Amino acid sequence: MTKNANIDILPMACVGLLLVIMMIMTAPMTMTHSNTRVTVPKTHTAERKTEEDITITLAKDGKLYLNDQLTDRLELEDQLGEVIDKDPYCLVVVRADKDVYHKDVLDLIAIAKQAGATRIACATKKRKD
Amino acid sequence: MSRKRIKHEVRNEGLILTSLVDIALSLVIGFIVALPFFFESGIFVSQPGVAKAVNGQESDVKVNIFLTNDGRIILNEKAVPKETLSSLLPQLLARSVSKRVIVSSDDRVRYDDVVQILDLAKQSGAADLCLLRTSKIR
Repeated sequence: MTKNANIDILPMACVGLLLVIMMIMTAPMTMTHSNTRVTVPKTHTAERKTEEDITITLAKDGKLYLNDQLTDRLELEDQLGEVIDKDPYCLVVVRADKDVYHKDVLDLIAIAKQAGATRIACATKKRKD
Repeated sequence: MSRKRIKHEVRNEGLILTSLVDIALSLVIGFIVALPFFFESGIFVSQPGVAKAVNGQESDVKVNIFLTNDGRIILNEKAVPKETLSSLLPQLLARSVSKRVIVSSDDRVRYDDVVQILDLAKQSGAADLCLLRTSKIR
């Protein structure tokens, strides 16, 4: 008499599914630099896809961060230039608080452009309504 | 008195996992739908450089938006309310070949106000969003 012993793969599939969910959730956190807390504007359109980027953060109090590291405007262009020299098509994301003046954001975009950035995006959050 | 023997048959029934799989699948779909709201996205922008002038007049429809400190929106040198702008922009962009929207503002305009205009332009069908710096003439 032969027993029909099958391997139960369901628990393995469940674990695999959990791993996929965890990876989907953690991938954007590791690839982007959005640890500095700012309230970015909310919009309906969401163009940017998650990819490795350079993030310039402008906080409400005027502090400036490059990839979550505190910096200032004088050093920013050199630091950006070094990164963009290695990858000229690297995406530069400007994360500015919604309450800062627009001219300050324009200054940052101008610095990024002077440093050689070709792809610039303004960080936003998707509106729920 | 005769006793009836009740036979208990042991059936080899597997655990019914259909509902569990359904819940797991619903959770996955829920996660995928909710993810864009948790993470930041963005709008691509550009700053126009100075280009060499070409002969002849350009016939493309221009969409220039200027935001003033007092909250007015000026579309192609004409003040318009925001409600009118949302209806005018799709009409203008439908006639434009380049579908480029140029946004500039006064010194004291909040970044959020400009981004809302960029969002509106994108929703209206703009392909290229340019942020223009204005310098004061002294």
